[in-house]
Amino acid sequence: MGEQVYFDDVAEGQEIPQLKKNCSTQQLVLWAAGSGDFYQIHYDKDFAQGTGLRGLIVHGALKHAFLGQLLHDWAGERGQVRKFGCSYRGMDEPKQDILCRGVVTKKYQDGGKNVVELDVWTEKPDGTKTSPGTATVTLPARG
Amino acid sequence: MTTDTEFQITDEMKAQIGVESEPWEYEVTTTSVRMYARGIGSDDPIHYDVDFAKAQGFRSIVAPLGYIGTPVYLPGTNDPTFGFPRRGGGPRLNIPFKGLLDGGTETEYLDVICAGDVLVETSHLADLKLRDRPGGKMLFVTNEAVYKDKTSGKVVAKMRLTSIHM
Repeated sequence: MGEQVYFDDVAEGQEIPQLKKNCSTQQLVLWAAGSGDFYQIHYDKDFAQGTGLRGLIVHGALKHAFLGQLLHDWAGERGQVRKFGCSYRGMDEPKQDILCRGVVTKKYQDGGKNVVELDVWTEKPDGTKTSPGTATVTLPARG
Repeated sequence: MTTDTEFQITDEMKAQIGVESEPWEYEVTTTSVRMYARGIGSDDPIHYDVDFAKAQGFRSIVAPLGYIGTPVYLPGTNDPTFGFPRRGGGPRLNIPFKGLLDGGTETEYLDVICAGDVLVETSHLADLKLRDRPGGKMLFVTNEAVYKDKTSGKVVAKMRLTSIHM
């Protein structure tokens, strides 16, 4: 986690620091154990191909969790991620870069909270967005 | 994958929308938090080191975003692949399609979730949508879950999950 980001320093249109992932099949098994999702399309190539897929794919909910990590790392110890979500529009494969990105779309104060809204997404190396979504984060103010 | 083009959402299926499930306990343990954090590839000590987390003001290590506990597993009761409980109440859909993909996930936090928490989850079917695809159809099934802290009864998180059957 980097230095604390403050509400005062955030501007609409600003991109937050990117997070790059590249899943080994071992990571997919680790996450399956952590999440309890043991669907075979994520670790059994024959099973995956039997369902019509080209091969193993990264769990959709793991990409959601990657976006959670992106936001957690950015919001810092004093920020709080209130809500985040994404839809799974494209498949990502193991051993392929997954770039997690976010851009501030709106900032405002509500009930004493400093609220920041963002567009977040994962993208393939060719720039295709595979998991577009949105997030709501509260940040501390300076002073 | 099925190429069933005859499938339709029935009135019986629509009647399942909004029917609340029986509650089920979800556990958040130090081991499960660390395992999930390893799974996402995080190296933040807030998810691993209890002393560090307590020094930051938390009850214990903090669950990574996206992790809202593990449903208590009872053989013969939980789904052996996905782990979710097959409990009373809630929707019972007879979906003929064999293919299954994640469609989307949305998580809302009303409090921080830490190891040691025991949550009580209830869920319901929120939406059904049928769309055409080349060679067949796709059924989008959206469920909404609410997680309450077992001790205080306070809602700590909500999750909306969409699965795609085809």
